Amino acid sequence: MKSPISFKVAKDGIVLTLNPKSKFREILNALNNHVKSATNFYAGSDLYINISENSFKIDQLNEIVNVARGYKDVKNIIFTSDMVKKETIEVGDDGETTLIKRTLRSGQKIKKSGNIVIIGDINPGAEVIAGGDIIVFGKIRGVVHAGVKGSNASVIALRLEPTQLRISKKIARPPEGAAKSYEIKPERAYIQDGQIMVEKFEI
Amino acid sequence: MAGKAIVITSGKGGVGKTTTVANIGTALAMMDYKVCLIDADIGLRNLDVVMGLENRIVYDIVDVVEDNCRLEQALIRDKRHKNLSLLPAAQTRDKTAVQPTQMKTLVDELKNEMDFVIIDSPAGIEQGFKNAIAGADAALIVTTPEVSAVRDADRIIGLLEAEGLKNPEVIINRINPEMVNRGDMMNIEDIIEILAVKLKGIVPEDSIIVVSSNKGEPVVLKENPKAGLAFKNIAKRITGEEVNFIEIKEDTFFTKIKKIFNFS
Repeated sequence: MKSPISFKVAKDGIVLTLNPKSKFREILNALNNHVKSATNFYAGSDLYINISENSFKIDQLNEIVNVARGYKDVKNIIFTSDMVKKETIEVGDDGETTLIKRTLRSGQKIKKSGNIVIIGDINPGAEVIAGGDIIVFGKIRGVVHAGVKGSNASVIALRLEPTQLRISKKIARPPEGAAKSYEIKPERAYIQDGQIMVEKFEI
Repeated sequence: MAGKAIVITSGKGGVGKTTTVANIGTALAMMDYKVCLIDADIGLRNLDVVMGLENRIVYDIVDVVEDNCRLEQALIRDKRHKNLSLLPAAQTRDKTAVQPTQMKTLVDELKNEMDFVIIDSPAGIEQGFKNAIAGADAALIVTTPEVSAVRDADRIIGLLEAEGLKNPEVIINRINPEMVNRGDMMNIEDIIEILAVKLKGIVPEDSIIVVSSNKGEPVVLKENPKAGLAFKNIAKRITGEEVNFIEIKEDTFFTKIKKIFNFS
């Protein structure tokens, strides 16, 4: 977490986390810029300011509140430390996993910001795009794109025969004329040294 | 007694939907079922030609939907089997002339009279396809042993499932016996492995199909051709009968000689 401030959507409002490693001025500047660029996106919801491990003087807190009031129509501004952390884990970007229990056929497309687990095949002409990992209990024959958000994600399948396999910004195709077969051969694709690698998947 | 409505569809054009409808319909009629064929390919009607009934059309499906005539007036009775009839498509209109709800009403009405209503779907996945599947209870997908046709069939299965037509079955048409012998053809196991649906029938390629389509006489009317037998078997399976799949491999010159000398 490099940025001085970060936002997460929690069950009952927005959580603004202040990075304990950033200086107070950095935090305040970042907040100021964000308030200026934000529209009325936060209207009607509560704003939780998570000071996490920061220790602020009372004047500093006042300054933060004054800047945060710039968000249009925020209902309440609430200070918190770790109270909301548990709630945000479930809706956080990386923790979310979608389970799909069917075969994806040609023309069908699934796009999720988290991980995707599929019980079934991905047929040629189908597309699966995930922010995180893609795990398929079946055959991959269509196009898969894992780690869209740039993370180092991997693709795991019982049979890896994709039309095209993308991880982050790397694209790989299976070798031309590769023998097609139905035998189950679990494989994992991931990025190593800037290249997509495929290896036998051992449990 | 309510009959069963089956839509024959494929996604890709030219794989043999219309031929399949004509032959399965005729075969079911030969088994003494009351059958009605609906040509849902409005604007590009063909089924009447393949059935040899083109010159009898007075009213068509759009006339029925627009109340220009009663349903019975538009039905054309087949010249060979009186328990087989055809509801032709309009040639001068397009797919938007009929709505899925109207199609469903029409099919439901026909199901009251018939044992089987077979609907010939147009190629594609647009309105014409949506009309064709609107009233159907089951779907048969026609494909050929080509990657593009199988891909489209897969797409269609997905769309059918989304529309609530579960468990469609597939007919693999135009299997070339020579190429099967040589091992050059996408084989049946490959196709079924990808589509993951039940196989309803396999039909060998036969130039006689073209001849019979041109003459307006479905191939099932003839005794000999293997393709005719294949369609008859599909019709039997539709009625619930268990029939083995036909052998596609053709006797080559050598196997024929072997047979003569009793080596095989």
